[in-house]
Amino acid sequence: MMRLAMVSLTALGLAACAEAPQDVAQVKGKYAGKVDAKPYEEGPQKMTRSEWEKSLRTRADNQNEYKRVN
Amino acid sequence: MARMKFICDAERCIECNGCVTACKNEHEVPWGVNRRRVVTLNDGIVGAERSISVACMHCSDAPCQAVCPVDCFYKTEDGVVLHDKDLCIGCGYCFYACPFGAPQFPQAGAFGVRGKMDKCTFCSGGPEVNTSDAEFKKYGRNRLAEGKLPACAEMCSTKALLAGDGDVLSDIYRERVMRRGKGGEVWGWATAYGRPDQKGAPVAPTPAVKS
Repeated sequence: MMRLAMVSLTALGLAACAEAPQDVAQVKGKYAGKVDAKPYEEGPQKMTRSEWEKSLRTRADNQNEYKRVN
Repeated sequence: MARMKFICDAERCIECNGCVTACKNEHEVPWGVNRRRVVTLNDGIVGAERSISVACMHCSDAPCQAVCPVDCFYKTEDGVVLHDKDLCIGCGYCFYACPFGAPQFPQAGAFGVRGKMDKCTFCSGGPEVNTSDAEFKKYGRNRLAEGKLPACAEMCSTKALLAGDGDVLSDIYRERVMRRGKGGEVWGWATAYGRPDQKGAPVAPTPAVKS
């Protein structure tokens, strides 16, 4: 009985010694962070890819003052 | 759409630092961190002095991404190089690898302790919910998700700094050079975009074998 109690106590005492693995699951050379949503998929101005591209293209074209002025 | 790029026209930059201020203001970047800065080339040489605005160029084959020990860098489908600040350990390897000195490190504590790396995001935030508070605090404003271009380029008074799709920028720049007849050299482009990483990119012709 005494022996059983000793074994149980030892097992209980060592229970906290276990260590959970803390390594980041990582494949070298591959992005290991969080997934980022595409700019046109989320947010207040949700739009399709083509609408988004059109918006950016218009703004990019506006940088050409030869087109804007003439 | 091809991919997002920056062009700085050294013939037009007047060193006003409007781009630097616009960036600081847009993203509320902390003291000591400059995502964008204006650099003077050939300083003091009469007739050869030029100014250019420099930030992360979002390289085709980004060296920061290659050297990161925790692989916190990624590239979006539009060619913007971003990183996850939750993963960054602030080791500074990316700073040593970057040819443009883009990665910045805030002074996080006493004894020169470095914080997590901060750099230009092409105004496209980071891996958080688009236009959320968390994204703004970590990475700054996400203008791309609002259908806008980077604040620095849109704010540039002389349109020396251009941002956007590489094809559109090339067209604008080509027209400029044709009209003024000089200044065709684009500083930093060969370093940033010189090595195409896309499949189907043109292969250098093999020299003919002499018999």
